[in-house]
Amino acid sequence: MTTQSVSEELLRLKNVRKYFGLPGAPWRQAQAVKAVDGVNFVVRKGETVGLVGESGSGKSTLARVATRLLDPTQGSVEIGGVDVTNVRGRKLRPVRRKIQMVFQDPQASLNPRQSVGTILSTPFRAQGIRPTRAQLVELLQQVGLSEEHLERYPHEFSGGQRQRIGIARALSVKPDLLVCDEPVSALDVSVQAQVLNLLADLRDELGLSYVLVAHDLAVVRQVTSRLAVMYLGTIVEEGPADQVYSAPAHPYTKALLSAVPVPEPGVERDRIVLTGDVPTPIAPPSGCPFRTRCYKVQDVCATVRPVLEPVHGSTEHRAACYFPEPPPPERTR
Amino acid sequence: MAEPVLEVHDLHVTFTTEGGLVPAVDGIDFSVAPGETLAIVGESGSGKSVSSAAVMGLLPSNAATTGEVLLDGRELIGLPNDELRKIRGNDIALVFQDALSALNPYYSVGWQVAEAYRLHHDVSKKVAHRRAVEMLDKVGIPDAARRVDSYPHEFSGGMRQRVVIAMALVNDPRVLIADEPTTALDVTVQAQIIRLLDDVQEEFGTALVLISHDLGVVAEVADDVLVMYAGRAAERGTVRDLFYRAAHPYSLGLLGAMPRVDVPPKPRLTTIPGTPPSPGSIRTGCPFQPRCAYTHLVGERCITERPELTPRPGEGDHEAACHLGRRPEALL
Ligand SMILES: Nc1ncnc2c1ncn2[C@@H]1O[C@H](COP(=O)(O)OP(=O)(O)OP(=O)(O)O)[C@@H](O)[C@H]1O
Ligand SMILES: Nc1ncnc2c1ncn2[C@@H]1O[C@H](COP(=O)(O)OP(=O)(O)OP(=O)(O)O)[C@@H](O)[C@H]1O
Ligand code: SF4
Ligand code: SF4
Ligand SMILES: [Mg+2]
Ligand SMILES: [Mg+2]
Repeated sequence: MTTQSVSEELLRLKNVRKYFGLPGAPWRQAQAVKAVDGVNFVVRKGETVGLVGESGSGKSTLARVATRLLDPTQGSVEIGGVDVTNVRGRKLRPVRRKIQMVFQDPQASLNPRQSVGTILSTPFRAQGIRPTRAQLVELLQQVGLSEEHLERYPHEFSGGQRQRIGIARALSVKPDLLVCDEPVSALDVSVQAQVLNLLADLRDELGLSYVLVAHDLAVVRQVTSRLAVMYLGTIVEEGPADQVYSAPAHPYTKALLSAVPVPEPGVERDRIVLTGDVPTPIAPPSGCPFRTRCYKVQDVCATVRPVLEPVHGSTEHRAACYFPEPPPPERTR
Repeated sequence: MAEPVLEVHDLHVTFTTEGGLVPAVDGIDFSVAPGETLAIVGESGSGKSVSSAAVMGLLPSNAATTGEVLLDGRELIGLPNDELRKIRGNDIALVFQDALSALNPYYSVGWQVAEAYRLHHDVSKKVAHRRAVEMLDKVGIPDAARRVDSYPHEFSGGMRQRVVIAMALVNDPRVLIADEPTTALDVTVQAQIIRLLDDVQEEFGTALVLISHDLGVVAEVADDVLVMYAGRAAERGTVRDLFYRAAHPYSLGLLGAMPRVDVPPKPRLTTIPGTPPSPGSIRTGCPFQPRCAYTHLVGERCITERPELTPRPGEGDHEAACHLGRRPEALL
């Protein structure tokens, strides 16, 4: 049963900046890496959000700020409606229970000397809880593994199985929100499909909400309902996944989507090949961060940074561009 | 069809290790003609890189290689090392899978490209340097004359990949083997590299062997495809054969497992249960049998008899190594 009311907010980032720089002297801040540079981002209950963008665009940094693994340089982090920006140490425990992170490299994120049972107990212990065996078995079953795996060690598992263990560990404390940073990029396609189906099942069966950070746009389309596109530390477009994928409004999103190869030999596609490289996040361009590579750039683009504004007559689909792409022509059904 | 420039017949590579013999490549055949692209696809560990290293004669000493590798009809397997060195990097060049770390951090990119040229051309440093600038320009390094003296760390991943490709192409090889040339790169850069390889082929008629696990890239650039599984060929044919008439359950599984960006998502991706076998662990029957959803339609034979590549009736050179006579998707 669904209601029209706006559902509960799990995560809200307000105007978050994260600069990596030399601490201290203010003049050195000019040399800081502006990894995240003014991001507003909300995840509501039941949403599955994809966060995409090129290497270095700030996806992982944003994910780490959201999960309170990194302090923001500026701005605030609200989890479950509570401002936790300045919560530290032991006081973070209840926060950690609400939001959990899954990392890219299943190999590196699991302690090789711990059995699966021990690995899965760790988050419970951090909450001061002693899990029962039945609880651990239930977790394994949720990710498609079974009781017999409890006494085994990470090296006895395949990459895909290790990633499931990573997901099971994150699920152990029944978080409201899972933040997965490139959870399948180290996996072969057949194994990747297993993990993506698992994420879809957890969404459907447990009502799990997650943020999926990835650079593979096809992977993200498969399992998310909303999409946010990052470029040079800012979100340049966001909206319902089907709208953004079928009718991107920001030139960067359009170029990015057009660059993804499609498995249909002989079908010619219009491709926008971007020239040049992403500028350095130490000195991003004035105005629109994408203007040095944009095929639509005008003088105004160098003035003030465009902000996210509704496009295509939708309140939820927004892009930060002075000249967004028009909506698609009426589709016939 | 043009005469192939590179032909590989019944290639076997076996490693001697402490754990015993590892048959990493277990009898594969392929060929590629000037200006054509052959893609070799398959999951991690299926023997793609080992095959290309075998063609180049670049395997470690614990590897035994048998079969034929013919470059313009000339057998390369068993050639003495000094003969091979004349061919390697000159007639046939390899872009390594881990290309980005193949660059030496202590030398400028221009020096490295020039050295690759001087290895096969008796020219002055100045001439080689000029050639390096020309190549860097050709692969799309902006302002090449100035950037030629830069060091690898001053370049982005995509630019370094271009340098590596410039190095491989500097002697106008007839065959280029590119092992996952775009895997570590963003899609935007990947699109640039694909276009570059395409332009090079057009201009020089280079034969390209592209090793990739990205079926999207393969669909876009390949003429022919070889699907490898556990060191063997599962299927071979034109790119259209593979994508529109896949005949091997494994190929079909790979295609179904791939999420797509251009159409609304399917409720579920097809998965292939289990994981690929380690080389040599399956001795009889079909190496794909433990994961195959169709084996019950064939029965015993999948376990007792190893399927060989067999032509698909009425489909030209399309071949699959599977006991199922008919197209699999029609059967489930
Ligand atoms: N601890 C750090 N110190 C300094 N700079 C950092 C640090 N962590 C990240 N950066 C820089 O911040 C920027 C954003 O990095 P981030 O890892 O968030 O990008 P990303 O979008 O996750 O990229 P990828 O797709 O490669 O994972 C990059 O320029 C990176 O070099
Ligand atoms: N020097 C070696 N000694 C023993 N076994 C080896 C050696 N090199 C490779 N192998 C084995 O040979 C098999 C094939 O490896 P190969 O590198 O060709 O795989 P690949 O298809 O290129 O995989 P990937 O997609 O991961 O690059 C693997 O099982 C690997 O472990
Ligand atoms: S604001 Fe200007 S430069 Fe930026 S994306 Fe839009 S058109 Fe391009
Ligand atoms: S031979 Fe049998 S097990 Fe192998 S792919 Fe064909 S049906 Fe499957
Ligand atoms: Mg990252
Ligand atoms: Mg390889």
